[in-house]
Amino acid sequence: MGLGLRWYHFVLWAGFIAIMALMPEFVSKGTLRTIIFANFLAIFAISWDVLSGRTGYISFGHPFLIGIGAYTTAILTKRFDVPVEYAIPTAVIMTMVGGTIMFLPALRIKGSYFALVSLAFMELIYQLVQVIRPDLTGGTRGMSGLVTLTRGAVNGYYLSVTLMIIVALCMWLLMRTRLGTALSAIGMNEESVKGSGLSPTKLKLFAFMTSAFVAGLGGAFYVHYLGSIAPRALFDINFVFTIIVATLIGGASTIVGPMFGAFFLTFLLEYLRPYLPGAERYLIYGVIALLLYMYQPKGLYHIVMTQLDRFKKRADDD
Amino acid sequence: MLEIIIQGILLSGLYALIAVGFTLIFSVGRVLNLAYGSYIMVAGYIYFYFSQLLGLPPIAGLLLAGILGSCMGLLKYNLIVKPLKGDHIAVEISTLILAVVLQSTVILFFGNSAKILLPIIPGVIHIGNATVTFNVLAATVASWLILIGLYLFIKKTHIGRAMMAVSMDAKGASISGVDIDKINMITWGISGFLGAIAGVFFASYTQLSPTMWVAPLIIAIAIVIVGGIGSIIGTLVVAHIIGFMEIISVALISPQLRGVFTMLLIILVLVIRPKGLFGREEL
Repeated sequence: MGLGLRWYHFVLWAGFIAIMALMPEFVSKGTLRTIIFANFLAIFAISWDVLSGRTGYISFGHPFLIGIGAYTTAILTKRFDVPVEYAIPTAVIMTMVGGTIMFLPALRIKGSYFALVSLAFMELIYQLVQVIRPDLTGGTRGMSGLVTLTRGAVNGYYLSVTLMIIVALCMWLLMRTRLGTALSAIGMNEESVKGSGLSPTKLKLFAFMTSAFVAGLGGAFYVHYLGSIAPRALFDINFVFTIIVATLIGGASTIVGPMFGAFFLTFLLEYLRPYLPGAERYLIYGVIALLLYMYQPKGLYHIVMTQLDRFKKRADDD
Repeated sequence: MLEIIIQGILLSGLYALIAVGFTLIFSVGRVLNLAYGSYIMVAGYIYFYFSQLLGLPPIAGLLLAGILGSCMGLLKYNLIVKPLKGDHIAVEISTLILAVVLQSTVILFFGNSAKILLPIIPGVIHIGNATVTFNVLAATVASWLILIGLYLFIKKTHIGRAMMAVSMDAKGASISGVDIDKINMITWGISGFLGAIAGVFFASYTQLSPTMWVAPLIIAIAIVIVGGIGSIIGTLVVAHIIGFMEIISVALISPQLRGVFTMLLIILVLVIRPKGLFGREEL
């Protein structure tokens, strides 16, 4: 397959999995709850990265996809008493259908224009959810009392961390294949991808479907962790902002970067809580994000990598 | 029926005012300023601070809001847009981050709860069975005056024509001796001023809250996309299409569907006719 795997890749992943598995032994329940949120944010950020980080089709409407997944499973379990085992796969499939719908405009437009259409998609579904069949969706107030899959912080932690690691590992491997390279090439120059005899349309469709798959999975599990869903919190520009910033801070189109970006930001927000209890926290958070982004748009991953390279070079020179 | 027409004209005037500053930046600088909504929000708060907390006359508050908005625009251009050197996606993302930063700054100073702005010009007038506040009427008149002024400025003055030239072809304009940087600065300044003025009127039309920047931003985006870039006439026409569409859907279908048709219109126009209804060939 030519994945280019080296021994240290295995060591790093195994080490990461081991640390995450042992985490509940060392940290408090409160911290575990924070990590759970970080895990879900990481899944959403990875989903965003697969689409926007790679192909350059910036999605400002990712909650559109996440919301389809979350609402489908919420409606199925709550209103039709469908067991979760069936509801979640259905939700994922529905999200992939949603991803295909979002893909249609990408056939004709790109760049800023696509970003705006995706934003329009999010606003559209936000308003539709409240109006169309409020008996199903719960209208403006959303739904509560949904089935939760786990009880207690430790179980919730294990479920979310397993899901996150599986998603991250699969996407990381997938992006190391030639398919991943082709997706990156779309972000660089769509014409030359066509010139190389590949079909940009098929590749783009694949990126949208994969992104939707991950977003739907994350959204469905997230709603069954929270046990409630509210349109105002879900289809919120601040939520888009958090996902995008997590990806960019970590390093777009690296999969590992968004994961750590999500952790970095979630913990940053948590540590700011004692000093700034309300939404003012976003001030510091946003300023840090803005400065980092202006300084190095490729993110922390890139900064770490260049430092490592420099270190290696120095070691070689000695 | 009369009421729908009157309300439609008034709302459309406000929307045109909101969108025109955004059109300007998008046409000349070719960047999407996603922090445009925050001019509107911040200007609302600046006006609130000066005229309601400090008790200055409304017109002074309006001018101060405009001047500070214009400063914001210049700062934004020099600190964010220029260093990113025309990377459009990067500008979009950093202005989105900036919008959230400004939102939380406002929360820090004024709190999270919504505030009611006293009308800039108090009083009402009855036309048929429709009640029109002088406030909204003033916004519409101001909007028309500003649009006509801007149109003449762009068509007749040297700077305005230079702006047009930059919007059509920045490289060509630069070869012909236009200082692109200066033109961009002027554009950002004017756009900030217009955004701020629109913000004060919009805030008095709805209410003042830290999250109020999203709705006008989306309306501005919709108007610019559907109207097409580089067209003030397009902005005006589409502001009326969207304004009337909203009023009609509120009056005849359901108030909750207010924004749905706008979103559908954006998606449809972008997919079927990406250059907009009145725009030049682009993409």
